[in-house]
Amino acid sequence: MNTLVKVARYHLVDRLQFLVLPVGVTLFAFLVNLTIFAVIPETPEENYSGGLFTLYVFMLVCGALSMTKSLPFGLALGVSRRSYYLGTILLVAGLAALYAVGIVVFQAIEEATGGWGVGLNYFRVPWLLNGPWYLTLLTSFVLLTLMFVYGMWYGLIYRRAAVVGVVLFAAAQVLVLVGGVLLLSWTDSWPKLGTFFSTLTVGGVTGVLALLVCVAGAGGFATMRRVTV
Amino acid sequence: MTPTISTTGLTRRYGDHLALGDVSVDIREGKITGLLGRNGAGKSTFLRIVTAQEFASTGSVRVFGENPVENERVLQRLVLVREDQQFPDFKVRHALSAASWFYPNWDAELADTLLRDFDLPTKRPIKKLSRGMRSALSITIGLAARAELTLLDEPYAGLDAVARQLFYDRLLDDYSAHPRTVLLSTHLIDEVADLLEHVVMIDKGRVVLDAPADELRGSAATVSGPATAVESFVAGRRVLHRRKIGSRASVTVADALDAAAKARAQALHLKLEPLSLQQLMVHTSNTGHPTAEEASA
Amino acid sequence: MLDEGTPLFVQIAEQIADDIAEGNLAEGERVPSTNELAAFYRINPATAAKGINVLADEGLLEKRRGIGMFVAGGARQKLLADRRRRFAEQYLDPMLIEARRLGIDDETLISLIRGNGHRNGGPAA
Repeated sequence: MNTLVKVARYHLVDRLQFLVLPVGVTLFAFLVNLTIFAVIPETPEENYSGGLFTLYVFMLVCGALSMTKSLPFGLALGVSRRSYYLGTILLVAGLAALYAVGIVVFQAIEEATGGWGVGLNYFRVPWLLNGPWYLTLLTSFVLLTLMFVYGMWYGLIYRRAAVVGVVLFAAAQVLVLVGGVLLLSWTDSWPKLGTFFSTLTVGGVTGVLALLVCVAGAGGFATMRRVTV
Repeated sequence: MTPTISTTGLTRRYGDHLALGDVSVDIREGKITGLLGRNGAGKSTFLRIVTAQEFASTGSVRVFGENPVENERVLQRLVLVREDQQFPDFKVRHALSAASWFYPNWDAELADTLLRDFDLPTKRPIKKLSRGMRSALSITIGLAARAELTLLDEPYAGLDAVARQLFYDRLLDDYSAHPRTVLLSTHLIDEVADLLEHVVMIDKGRVVLDAPADELRGSAATVSGPATAVESFVAGRRVLHRRKIGSRASVTVADALDAAAKARAQALHLKLEPLSLQQLMVHTSNTGHPTAEEASA
Repeated sequence: MLDEGTPLFVQIAEQIADDIAEGNLAEGERVPSTNELAAFYRINPATAAKGINVLADEGLLEKRRGIGMFVAGGARQKLLADRRRRFAEQYLDPMLIEARRLGIDDETLISLIRGNGHRNGGPAA
């Protein structure tokens, strides 16, 4: 068994964290939404719930956990940091694929049952996850991966620089955004931005997200290199 | 023969705290070497750097002749048992399963035996284990891994005397049956003194002793008796420590006393008590410089 | 069981030698293996091996390939002869020093030996 696969397996030894809980939490949020929707007497058309959001946030948490709680023992088992990181990415790919398929399947059921009989749009998210199934699959996959890898980066920053580091990391990102806003203002590019957004497709967004995955992946890897246990 | 571990000028600083200073040492293959020293001497730091869990500030480390950092070829031939090992939210059996995939020499039977010996509940979450049981778990993993290079960093935290003896017995047992290189760090020196073939002593981050255990045993002694007789006996010898009460004195000298010296001591009615390894360490730490090394040089 | 003074391997050698000298280990009998000794005394096997080698070098033990170490022929005699030789140094000299210190002269010493002889298993030879 190849080392990367071993690492992926290692994360899944305790099936609870990466398999049972994400599914459980999503299901729980879904049932809560369903109950509320079933109870409300007047359901307006096209009611969207932001419930699926839960799964993505949970992926973020899983990412952080994989690089904090699980890291010391992982490295103690004689695995290089590189293998640990890449093995975890392998896991992410698998999980993201699995959950993306799940979303597509449940979306189809949701469609077929007219919103589970109560007009609930849980698995169908406006604009982003509302198109053809292959696009939904791809976008879900990329977004889930992004959340996990982003979480991994946070986890690694925490290991190396504690809470202070995490705060600074978040602040730095905010600064980058602010910088972007300032740049747009100085170059009077707001109209251009407006055009850009109005012509944006789901495929385009997915492409941008995929790019962010690469950025987060590379950043996390760089942070990983000097992490100690 | 290439030493299993070889460090040259190994230094590790944390801010302005020097954890390891210019440590150049060779750990030879197939022996049980003791890494002795007080709490905070730098033993753990040394072991973590050797296993690439920590990084050196300056200096070099070679394990099996190679740099261990990010080197799986090397890392998979060794195991480090740490008393402060952090585990994921695993149950005991999860940790053992995971270990069995990564260690090529993993012996499941031995793992089972040790689980029974230490009375470890396999279904319990590691979080809920007492300190002693966590140590027992780490020891179980470390021994069952049968790694060519087995490093143990004060593995007995929380273990009572009975469990500690059990650990020493199992270690000796398995080492005899499957010889390997063992580096055992401890401050409970008396308990393991007889198990050691070689001794490396670290004090405040520096190596103060590096010698075969046989050489160190009996390399220093305390001479006690009437003060004048004691003083005449120890004249010209390297004195480590002096104590007086009334007209009696007790002087510790760093000298391997031969038969002639013993006879003379007897003639003068002096009592000779050779220093144990632990006492030797205490004196070395106190004086802060090599003792037996210099005496035998 | 093991004291701090003499090197461990010497103590191991002496304990086995004692057994041979007192007849507890007969000629041709197998001596415990290195690992057995190590486990019993809770010491490093290399130390046990060193002790065995000391005796082997003195011709008191012989190796039978694949089986182990055995007490060599004539080992007991060799040991007893050697110990008789060292008797004076080990027991006589300290006694004489102590006697001098207490002011006991040789005549008194001899009569003491003769007198205590029956207390310690037979008249002195």
